[in-house]
Amino acid sequence: MPNLQLLNPQTHGHLRLRRAAEAAPHFVQVLAPEFQAAATCCPILFTKDPETGGFYAGAMFGFKPGENLLGSPEDRGGFHPLMLQREGFFMSERNIAIDRDHARFSEHEGEPLFNEAHEPGNSLRAIQRTLGEIHHGLERTKSFIAELTALKLIEAIEISLKFENGERLTLQGLYTVSLDGLRDVEDAAAIRLFRAGDLQLAYSMAGSLKQIPRLARLREQQQLPAS
Amino acid sequence: MVQPVRHIVIVGGGTAGWLTAGVIAAKHRARMGAEFTVTLVESPSTPIIGVGEGTWPTLRSTLARIGVSETEFFRKCEAAFKQGARFARWTTGAADDFYYHPLMLPQSFAQLNLVPHWLARDDGRSFCDAVCPQGRLCDDGLAPKTIATAEFEAVANYSYHLDAGKFAAFLQAHCCEKLGVRQVLADVQRVNLAPGGDILSLTTPQAGEIAGDLFVDCTGFKALLIGETLGVPFKECGDVLFCDRALAVQVPYASEATPIACQTISTAQSAGWIWDIGLPARRGVGHVYSSRHISDEQAERELRDYLGAAGRDLPVRKLVIPAGHRETFWKRNCVAVGLAAGFLEPLEASAIVLIELSAKLIAEQLPVCREVMDLIAARFNATTHYRWGRIIDFLKLHYVLTKRTDSAFWRDNLLPETIPDRLQDLLLLWSHQSPWFHDEFDRVEEVFPAASYQYVLYGMGFRTQVEPAALSGDAKNAERALRENAIQTERLRAGLPRHRELIRKIVEHGMQTV
Repeated sequence: MPNLQLLNPQTHGHLRLRRAAEAAPHFVQVLAPEFQAAATCCPILFTKDPETGGFYAGAMFGFKPGENLLGSPEDRGGFHPLMLQREGFFMSERNIAIDRDHARFSEHEGEPLFNEAHEPGNSLRAIQRTLGEIHHGLERTKSFIAELTALKLIEAIEISLKFENGERLTLQGLYTVSLDGLRDVEDAAAIRLFRAGDLQLAYSMAGSLKQIPRLARLREQQQLPAS
Repeated sequence: MVQPVRHIVIVGGGTAGWLTAGVIAAKHRARMGAEFTVTLVESPSTPIIGVGEGTWPTLRSTLARIGVSETEFFRKCEAAFKQGARFARWTTGAADDFYYHPLMLPQSFAQLNLVPHWLARDDGRSFCDAVCPQGRLCDDGLAPKTIATAEFEAVANYSYHLDAGKFAAFLQAHCCEKLGVRQVLADVQRVNLAPGGDILSLTTPQAGEIAGDLFVDCTGFKALLIGETLGVPFKECGDVLFCDRALAVQVPYASEATPIACQTISTAQSAGWIWDIGLPARRGVGHVYSSRHISDEQAERELRDYLGAAGRDLPVRKLVIPAGHRETFWKRNCVAVGLAAGFLEPLEASAIVLIELSAKLIAEQLPVCREVMDLIAARFNATTHYRWGRIIDFLKLHYVLTKRTDSAFWRDNLLPETIPDRLQDLLLLWSHQSPWFHDEFDRVEEVFPAASYQYVLYGMGFRTQVEPAALSGDAKNAERALRENAIQTERLRAGLPRHRELIRKIVEHGMQTV
């Protein structure tokens, strides 16, 4: 359970912020404005929120929990999901809340959150920007998914992989944009998708599937004994 | 010159009428318009009889086929999930006597018949729990899927419990708004016949004369077209199935958090049985009984005893439900669907599935012209007779396997003259070899698959002789299937949400279509 507290200089004036961990989980939520950057290094797929059944998009860094085949943000061409950048911080209405128990917060190490005048320091200002981008990005992603759902353009995709050591992986519960469906949309809908920027997002996602075999190759390489 | 069939007129607007309208209109969607019409004539005053609120999993594909959203169905029809039926006190009548008839097939059913293997083990496990997870899921009050499962898809096979009145209204809106069915609110004053005897039109005070090429009689017990107009007699089967009365009551929950049962609960009484169906906002409970064996007063006392304090002042509605069906279902240019075709006690929720199967048959084989209609009618009648016969056999099976002798009703049910010959033959056969899906039940779209017979037979303690030597060839596969079932059972029990919780989420968030 996170220990959530509304961020304020009186209580948290002494707190410092460590850098966000570079290790990433195998599947991280990504927002529509990040799709282009993400698609240059990894597959973007939809999956369902187990609580609501609603779709969200995620960047795949590995094929199973605990596996990150794409290393640090530098290895990913600088791509670092907003959801990882904001670790430890949450939006509560218009305020910022923090998980006081998160490892990023320290009293001795890292950059101070506030300056002596109790104003946000550089690190906190960056977080504020990130949270603003997330807020906007969530709305944008929501409208994108709503449009795809209404046009029935989301389809399940089963990914089956076979590795040289004989290991087989079948990934389920993943979805992508249906290119066949996209080709069949009526002209009016096609123009609407194009004007809203949804068409570009759809092709980014569909194109990013090409990253799956690349990820599989990386996995083969990383599993070779070090020479 | 051929006489084309282009205008379908359905009379009666209950579940039967609207489901039939939806299935026909959806199948012929491409040509719906001025040249092909589906009209439903519904009396503005006749109340709808809720013919029981249980369904079969076929309703999932029927709803998907007519293009409704399962989310909207849950939101508008007071629907809940059904994973089978729990039969209590049918075998011995003791307080702890029960078995399940679940909707999932026994493990590896297409590959091997687990019955003889289960019998040979004789390890005290119920047949249902040995071969299928669903009884345990029902015991735990779990739903058959999660909020992340797509519409109409299942983790564990399921059908629905629903409010029949709301369901008819839901279908009506969909049929009229999305499928182009024309609704006419009018009373049928007179049915006009052509010289040859076909139905030509209906005369109504509100909408004048309504002509059609094919008429579907969905007027309920009244059977206005098939019975009153065309004179097709009703064939009773009260000599096989004794129940002919029902007392129905709606029971509110103690609180909004009370768990919803995910199975129909059917509890045997002295001269019939009580159904108990959980909907999100209430339970539908009713006593089906034989008026030849007990009085209405005694039947009501048994119902009130069953309900306990929860049912003290609730009003009870009495229904007369003669068991039987029309001698012919499709005569000339008129076909009967729903109660107009017949009625059987709702022991295995056969009413709505029969409507679906009939509607599908009509929609798929819809005669192109009057000249071929009699051929299609003959096929329809053969298939539908077969189906009613099999349902009657299957319902009777529940009664003939009883060991109860505590009342005349149960004793009379065992009299050989009340048991159809075909069922007697099958019981003889099954005492030597157990039913499986190749034998006997060979029709496409069989109402009850061989698995259903297995669950009822071995749930009620029926024994088939087993020759261990004959089993050894399959022993390893059977072993594996039983083990897989145990694993699957635990996995599902750990992963499925509570029934009420899932319905709340469906109403709040909706399900995805993929």
